[in-house]
Amino acid sequence: MAAETAEIADLISRCALRDRVAFKTLYQRTSAKLFGVTLRILRDRSEAEEALQEVYVKIWQRADRYVPGGYSPISWLVAVARNHALDVLRARKPRSEDIDLALDVADAGPTPEKAASDRSERSRIDNCLGQLDAEKADAVRGAYLDGYSYEELADRHKVPLNTMRTWLRRSLMKLRECLSA
Amino acid sequence: MSDESNISGHDEDSVLVAEYVLGLLPEAERESLRARLKAEPALRSDLAFWRNRLASLDVEFAESPAPSGVWPRIEQRLFTGQARGGWWNSLALWRSVAAGALAVAAVAVAINMTAPRPDPKAFAAELVAALHAEGSNVSFVALYNSGSGELRITPLSGDQPSDRDYELWAIEDGQAAKSMGVIAANIRNEVKIAPDILVDFGEGTTLAVTLEAKGGSPTGVAQGPIVAAGKATQI
Repeated sequence: MAAETAEIADLISRCALRDRVAFKTLYQRTSAKLFGVTLRILRDRSEAEEALQEVYVKIWQRADRYVPGGYSPISWLVAVARNHALDVLRARKPRSEDIDLALDVADAGPTPEKAASDRSERSRIDNCLGQLDAEKADAVRGAYLDGYSYEELADRHKVPLNTMRTWLRRSLMKLRECLSA
Repeated sequence: MSDESNISGHDEDSVLVAEYVLGLLPEAERESLRARLKAEPALRSDLAFWRNRLASLDVEFAESPAPSGVWPRIEQRLFTGQARGGWWNSLALWRSVAAGALAVAAVAVAINMTAPRPDPKAFAAELVAALHAEGSNVSFVALYNSGSGELRITPLSGDQPSDRDYELWAIEDGQAAKSMGVIAANIRNEVKIAPDILVDFGEGTTLAVTLEAKGGSPTGVAQGPIVAAGKATQI
């Protein structure tokens, strides 16, 4: 896994040096993952395919912005794909409303618990999401993995929009505490 | 913690950055946060925090093999300057394959190149191209004689289909392919190069053959698959 990570980082660096062979190898290694990202967020095969194409164009054009050591290389690629898919999603949807309205819905959240910090990042975020109400953890995952907007999250969880905002922002606060612990 | 106002200034910012990373902010707020991120290192460390932590969820994106048409379109977008799809897609890939056939062509050239060269400014030497493609049994050798302005296309292998025609195209990097007309796979073809193609014709010009409807593509843009392609090389 570490070797694979190093290899992906190396391929991205070589793309920055305009190495087309490296770019093709990078595509072969990572396109299934990134297609998984665009497909999940866009939920439309042809749009996801179109997005994937744009994503690799961006990767080639921006490979020099990848800083090895800063961000795991595959995470960087996923972020490029995810952000692009979100842009496509926003462009086809009505704009979401402004968010800085009064957030006046009180919420009796669960008591925060201390996180076990000697775990891998993966189990750590699972653990921290696990400390939120199941519904709220689902909302965080839905925003990250499915690109749901506040409106969609409110619809899916059958709560008013402002309630969803309050929920999610509180949940993010708790998540931050837990993840920082 | 019963009220939103309990979230302090920095916590508020951190939540804002988390919303930004999640993609929940409306455009105006996204833009203003981007501006702040450039100016405020503390916000950037929040950004790194959230990106890294949330990236742990990336394993939940299930892999799904990318459709085969995507890669050729990426290559086309980035490396050929072409804006359209179709047969042109695979050309970059095939060029390298065709280069391998040059050795075959060189032999043919030695025999054919006898004409004078009255225009050394346009062409320092004669040109040759070997045209073939992976997965295709059709191949040609193309020889250019600057004296006559003629391109001689000799089929080396492949059958002439009865219901379709082969069409020859000249392609300069970053430009649309220009048709040079229909050619046959069972006889030697002599093609007079049109002035608009001759302007740029030279070393590096790619010659490609596609399989088209009888009489050639009706639109002036290739529609069928490439059956052979190669770059003109000076000899």
